Amino acid sequence: MSDAVVKRILVVDDEPDVRTYLCTALEDAGFLVETASDGLEALESIRREPPDLISLDLVMPRHSGARLYHELQKDKKLSKIPVLIVTGHARDEMGQADFEEMTMSGPGVYLEKPVRPVSYVSAVRRLLGLENAEPEPAPEGLRRELFQAMSGADQEALRRALDALKKK
Amino acid sequence: MMNIMIPPELETLLGRGLFEHVPFNVAFIDRDFNIVAANKSFEEYFGDWRRKKCHEVYKDSLRRCAGCHAQETFEDGRVRVSDETGVDRHGRACHYVVHLAPVKDDGQKVQYIIEMTIDLTETRRWQREYDLFLERVPCCVLVVDRQFRIIRDNEKFRQTFGDGRGKLCYEVCKRRKTICKNCPADLTFKDSAEHTSSQVGVHRDGTPAYYVVTSSALSRGAGGVAHVIEMATDVTEVRHLQGELREAQDYYESLIRNSGTGILAVDMLNRAKVMNHAARALLGWNIGRLPGPRRLRQMLPAEFFASNLGEGKALDLSETLIRPRQGPEVPVRFSAVGLRSRGKQLGRAAFLQDLREIKSLEQDKLEAERLAAVGQTVAGLAHTVKNLLMGLEGGMYMVDSGLHRGDAARIADGWEILQRNFEKTTALVKDFLSFAKGRVPDLRPTDPVALARSVVELYRDAARMQGVELVLEPGEVIAEALLDPDGIETALTNLVSNAIDAAALREAPGGKVVLHTRDDAKDLLFEVSDNGCGMDWEVKGKVFTTFFTTKGGKGTGLGLLTTRKIVQEHGGRLEMESAVGEGSLFRMRFPRQRLQTLAEAAARSVNGKSAGAVPNEGKS
Repeated sequence: MSDAVVKRILVVDDEPDVRTYLCTALEDAGFLVETASDGLEALESIRREPPDLISLDLVMPRHSGARLYHELQKDKKLSKIPVLIVTGHARDEMGQADFEEMTMSGPGVYLEKPVRPVSYVSAVRRLLGLENAEPEPAPEGLRRELFQAMSGADQEALRRALDALKKK
Repeated sequence: MMNIMIPPELETLLGRGLFEHVPFNVAFIDRDFNIVAANKSFEEYFGDWRRKKCHEVYKDSLRRCAGCHAQETFEDGRVRVSDETGVDRHGRACHYVVHLAPVKDDGQKVQYIIEMTIDLTETRRWQREYDLFLERVPCCVLVVDRQFRIIRDNEKFRQTFGDGRGKLCYEVCKRRKTICKNCPADLTFKDSAEHTSSQVGVHRDGTPAYYVVTSSALSRGAGGVAHVIEMATDVTEVRHLQGELREAQDYYESLIRNSGTGILAVDMLNRAKVMNHAARALLGWNIGRLPGPRRLRQMLPAEFFASNLGEGKALDLSETLIRPRQGPEVPVRFSAVGLRSRGKQLGRAAFLQDLREIKSLEQDKLEAERLAAVGQTVAGLAHTVKNLLMGLEGGMYMVDSGLHRGDAARIADGWEILQRNFEKTTALVKDFLSFAKGRVPDLRPTDPVALARSVVELYRDAARMQGVELVLEPGEVIAEALLDPDGIETALTNLVSNAIDAAALREAPGGKVVLHTRDDAKDLLFEVSDNGCGMDWEVKGKVFTTFFTTKGGKGTGLGLLTTRKIVQEHGGRLEMESAVGEGSLFRMRFPRQRLQTLAEAAARSVNGKSAGAVPNEGKS
């Protein structure tokens, strides 16, 4: 693969704001971007013109990301397309099972919402085998703490929150 | 013959009167065996005797009898008694005893014989009957003399104790060497009265014999009572049955006494006859005597007295209250049956099962369900916040990069995203606060149909604007229920607005939402159905487990969760049925019994914490 060829990315997310955001970030990094708001729309788009990479949300109302992913795996040609999972459900009961199954069997690359633009673009580039222009700057201050807190919201933390509510 | 001086005026009277009035037959015969005189009794017994020989009259025979006793008496002048059979005036065989007494002249020669006959025919028959009776009577009979020697026994006695004749009664009956204590025969010998006592003897096979014996004086002699007849009834079998009966009674009594279920039985006049420990404890009945009808009516449910239990119908109240002698009412499961024996009504029995423990367990379960709902909510909240942060991150990037590039359009887009996500954050916080508040529903008697109608009226116009018809289908008469009207209204509002949105998304026109209220067995149901797009299995699987919205930016995903939380706080369930392209149905199911339990718990906790107002204890 070479930088000379413009890579096509398909962004699948049911949130329009998220689509706009990811789309803009990727375009700024020089990619060609298509969007789809759910699994069905994405499948159509992929069949019409297979992208070089799929950025996929897991939980969507109509035809989820997990389902789309399984369908792609069944297709010999489409199963080779790298998939970057962008999800807020990696750790909760709604997405966990799907998520674990997919990361074990497939792409192994995921980003947990909220995603910073630099991290996102870097992950896309890595999956496509492209060099990253510059190292990813670490998030700072309060935002970093919040990031860590959000991605580390584990069972124990939830139990504490629950206890606090019970006492109320 | 007559040495006694008899006044002459009595002489003829005696001669004729005595002769005619003695209660037996009298005849005189001469030495030629002619009957020369006889009284009326004789004539009535043997018939005409005039100019007849004695053997013609007595025996209907022309010849003299062989071994004639009269002949002997004529010869030796001695009195004879003889047992004879002959023929009566009707030609029937008869049985009699005859006394022959000589009438001598001065030379001591026997000139006549007086023959006095007494009929034995009847007596013989009696004797045979008596013997038969004595032998075959189904109780033991024995006659003892003053030495307690058995001079007579019967068949039953011999079967029971063995042959006893000639032996001592205590040896035969008890296999002992001395007279028994409390011997009834001994008492009868002493006072000639009748005596009865219970005795334990030994059967001929060696097993114990229980019998009741009665003794009576039979004959008297010079020393008082000479013979005593004893009649004994063998009660071994009866005793055995009594033992079994007592055993069975002890068995059932112990079952009743130790049952954890309260058992109470009354007679036909509703007086308590049986009341076990559990029943006493439940009713606080710690005094000795059992309650009468008036007290029972105060304590037990009216159905127990009203129901026609005698006809084999049983009563089963799955939950009711009893009013103990002291203290608060106790919730019990109350069942009752009529008691009968061989078609005869004896009374009724009630079974009381304490529900306090079960109710407290149910309370714990309700609490656990509610906390589980809160836990899921908190988990879902994290996800929603993540999505909001994602939107904010995106908006910031757009504004940032727009500023960097001097791209005003991008700045405007980014600002819009920021605004939108800020609004969503505000909405989420607002929803979450409403979600988090009022964790204990304020239950009060509420008309479910009126509540549903108010929601339908509120949303009907809004639905019409979206081309959706919203209708209420109230079921048959639905009783009031203990509900938190505000909470249920919120829940119904959420379900109805979801349904309207789903019906509006339908491709063909004719969107319709139905709110149906009904009772199903012991549950109160609210059903909201739409003919909208329906949900596939993925959505169905996830719709209840976290914040989830199919409405893009419009929803926070809290509506259905809030609904479910409210339903769970009422001890109910939120159920869902859906098919893609056909529509969805959401059903709130409230077991009325649980509503009752919750209301009672709430009343208790209010009473426990303060002297505040007790919530209305309306019953559905």
